[in-house]
Amino acid sequence: MTVATPGTHPPAESAATAPVLSVRGLSVAFPSEAGPVQAVREVSFDVLPGRTLGIVGESGSGKSATVMGVMGLLPETAQVSGRVLLGGRDLVGLGDRELSAVRGNDIGMVFQDPLSALTPIFSIGRQLSDALRVHQDLTRQAAWNRAVELLDLVGIAEPHRNARAFPHEFSGGMRQRVVIALAMANSPSVIVADEPTTALDVTVQAQILDVLRTAQTETGAGLVLITHDLGVVAGYADDVAVMYAGRIVEQAGANELFGRPTMPYTIGLLGAVPRPEARASGQLVPIGGEPPSLVGLSAGCSFADRCPAAVDRCHSQEPPLTAVPGHGQVACWRAPDIAGGNPAASSLFSPPEAAVEEHRPDRQVPGETVLRVAELARTFPITKGALLKRRVGTLHAVSDVSFALRAGETLGLVGESGSGKTTTLLEIMRLRPPEHGLIEIAGTDVAAPRSTEQTQRLRRTVQIVMQDPMGSLDPRLPVFRLLAEPLQAVGTDRDAVRIRVSELLSLVGLDASLADRFPAALSGGQRQRVAIARALATEPRIVVLDEPVSALDVSIQADVINLLTKLQRELDLAYLIVAHDLAVMRQVSDRIAVMYLGHIVESGDTEDLFTHARHPYTEALLSAIPVPDPQVERSREHIVLKGEQPSASRLPRGCVFADRCPLYPLLDGGTQQRCRTERPLLRPAASGTDHRHACHAR
Amino acid sequence: MIVVATNVTYLLAAWFLDPRSNYRGLRPVRTEEQIDHALAPYNLDPRAPLADRWWHWFSDVLLHFDWGKSPVGASVNSEIGFRVVVSGQLVTAATLLSVVAGVALSVFTASRQYGWWDRMTQLVSVFLFNVPAAVAALAVVFAGIWLNQHLGWRLLYVAGEKSPDVSGLWPTVADRFQHLVLPTLSLTLLGYVGYHLTQRSLLLDNINSDFVRTARATGLTRAQAIRRHALRASLIPTATSVAFSIPAIFTGAVITETVFGWNGMGQYFVQTIAKNDVHGAVAVAAFGAGMTAIGAILADIAVVVLDPRVRVR
Repeated sequence: MTVATPGTHPPAESAATAPVLSVRGLSVAFPSEAGPVQAVREVSFDVLPGRTLGIVGESGSGKSATVMGVMGLLPETAQVSGRVLLGGRDLVGLGDRELSAVRGNDIGMVFQDPLSALTPIFSIGRQLSDALRVHQDLTRQAAWNRAVELLDLVGIAEPHRNARAFPHEFSGGMRQRVVIALAMANSPSVIVADEPTTALDVTVQAQILDVLRTAQTETGAGLVLITHDLGVVAGYADDVAVMYAGRIVEQAGANELFGRPTMPYTIGLLGAVPRPEARASGQLVPIGGEPPSLVGLSAGCSFADRCPAAVDRCHSQEPPLTAVPGHGQVACWRAPDIAGGNPAASSLFSPPEAAVEEHRPDRQVPGETVLRVAELARTFPITKGALLKRRVGTLHAVSDVSFALRAGETLGLVGESGSGKTTTLLEIMRLRPPEHGLIEIAGTDVAAPRSTEQTQRLRRTVQIVMQDPMGSLDPRLPVFRLLAEPLQAVGTDRDAVRIRVSELLSLVGLDASLADRFPAALSGGQRQRVAIARALATEPRIVVLDEPVSALDVSIQADVINLLTKLQRELDLAYLIVAHDLAVMRQVSDRIAVMYLGHIVESGDTEDLFTHARHPYTEALLSAIPVPDPQVERSREHIVLKGEQPSASRLPRGCVFADRCPLYPLLDGGTQQRCRTERPLLRPAASGTDHRHACHAR
Repeated sequence: MIVVATNVTYLLAAWFLDPRSNYRGLRPVRTEEQIDHALAPYNLDPRAPLADRWWHWFSDVLLHFDWGKSPVGASVNSEIGFRVVVSGQLVTAATLLSVVAGVALSVFTASRQYGWWDRMTQLVSVFLFNVPAAVAALAVVFAGIWLNQHLGWRLLYVAGEKSPDVSGLWPTVADRFQHLVLPTLSLTLLGYVGYHLTQRSLLLDNINSDFVRTARATGLTRAQAIRRHALRASLIPTATSVAFSIPAIFTGAVITETVFGWNGMGQYFVQTIAKNDVHGAVAVAAFGAGMTAIGAILADIAVVVLDPRVRVR
């Protein structure tokens, strides 16, 4: 068990040292058929040695284009202007050859997706030693030895052996460690990390952020941390810049920014994030609207259309970034007013009307059970050989999963990737007899023989909403056809379809004029609304949601979550939600089941589970979620789990979590023995509740 | 597999090809009996049961590597022997040039996607792709003749694979080379196009991939990153297709061989079928099967060289 308390501020004198990287008035534009896309406009910031600058923003806000502009890795068509001063030298306008002498040597970069960031056909050690030899005059052997040292430094076990491994033999977290090793190989003065943990599980995210910190201390570099996750920024950044529509709209120290946000966008963003530490007191406060298109921006402030504090001047003139005493730099005409408390920051964004009434009034009145899953198990054979497939093992994707879902209730399945959440959903959606166990939908056992008509009725009862609305909607069908399709499939006649489609559109809050648009013409939030409407078309009683908001930006995520809550109340739906974001889960779920390696290790009422977690895995999971509040985030203790979830092909005989359990080393021999040999069963944590957990030690 | 394929070909060829028809047109007219009699020494006598002829042929192949005789008594072995050498020169040179030119062009154009050079070379390639082999070969012949006329002496030969009266090592090499240039050129013009277009699109899949960006971030220039990281990963499918196309080129260069008057395998394949030469046709088929097997092995070797992940550890 590692207990890390991140976020100790470096001593104040470091503020006096010269910045290692100064960006002044950086602008990036991409030509497009509709006109130039102003991806980045007049961005300026300084990076000090040993300090971390967090750049936050939603997708399309220009965060990535900014750092790509700094690195000189933008496509050749991009028009870059402004100055990027690295140690006094301007990098803008340098040729590829001159820039390549800088990249890797003075600036190292960590990318978002570790799965594709490494060349698949070269060994890890080869890639690292190549990176060293580009800038340093080393022999092959010396570079290899240094590569092994670097691997050891970033926490790769058995670095000598693993240097010979290829990227596909590594998990995502291990690959990201390698990418960090690549970035720090030549001791750069600046490390740029572009969404370094977005593609990773939350427990691995904590490990990787620790490694990044190690890399920073080791090289003394200034770190630019780009992320959309305000929690990560709160825990790790010293200074924060918030970007919106290509500009920095607010820039301040982390404490000031989170404690006293001034720009209405920042205020809205902080209000829209579900907070893992706060109980679901009410609905989230969405900002409303969508970010503007970056082509042909209007003369005014680009946030003015969504801003509740906007005045006439905001629509005609773009505010410059100016210093507001005690608040850092803010680009807002109303900043002095908001800083002065009139209007008060907290009253700017009001929750939607529905939230004013009692939140989930029917919470205490459970409906009838619509879905019952008992002792569900699913295995997949692992085969080897091309011509003759030999079965070499069995992957236990789901083992012994039981739960019940009542009408009007939301059950959340939580766990890291590979824990069997999605397999559980798909087993339910399959409507076939499960490999082992029982699935009962609205009182009907799916294993019982039935007619085609009955199958269709059953199919209407359960519907699914997928994670990525871009992939789950056929791009060649307009919205009307998308919504009509499930209705036609169950034999609704034409006129009824037309009426129902317009009903559905208004139900999910979409304008009827969108009916003849194609999915590509819709924004991410609108697409997910269409996906939800499509699921609701056949009037299901159970809606299965697989990561329904993880592909959406924070400000839009809040909108969709609120919509789901509203629909549930109106239609008495039962939701089975899978999500990795525990903060979102706390907002939407009534009950939560935590899965690990195909087993439910703890389940119970959401509030009970969040406040009195019993299982050590749940504790670690909860502790790993970054809280978007620097005070809280830096003072609380983090439990950083070692390693990653093992493969489900060789399940341990005893407790599936024993290998990573932070509690296990502290136990006495007898209990350890039990953990190793006997699989713990779910048992009530306290009498009178349905809070259950599976642990020998607690 | 090769053995099975060859034997099936033998049975089919013996079934469909009738060597007697070669003799029927001869004057003075011969009786069927005389014809059969004349074919008997070459193991082509239709009166003997097919099984007997097959067994005779098969045991000769197995025991003496004797692939039989044509209906006029020429040895298939010696025919194939010199033709393999002739075709080999042509095919090896043309394949190597096609691959090198195609891949080089693809790297050049993929790094400049939608640029002027990319569009121009693509236009040329698509045009060449649609030119029939005979037209291309004739165009090359005319170009060669025009060049010779302008030079005033014969630099490049437009017909045959060698001159009959050359002796000595260096004169022979020079003579062969003079004959080789034009047919190789015409085969290359038609062959490189496929590699250019497929390799270009394979490379484009990789050129903007994250790992190329990572390589650039470590300090490689764009060109270096493309050559070292993107190209190698995207060469694997091309290497496989080159290896498997070798047998097709060997027997598929018929038109080019005919235009340039080369006595190669492709020409022989057409001749044997036209002249009802059962043994010759079967030998060509067996040769094709053998080349396919070699191609498959070469493909595997190429993949192992390019992609260290498949090496057995």
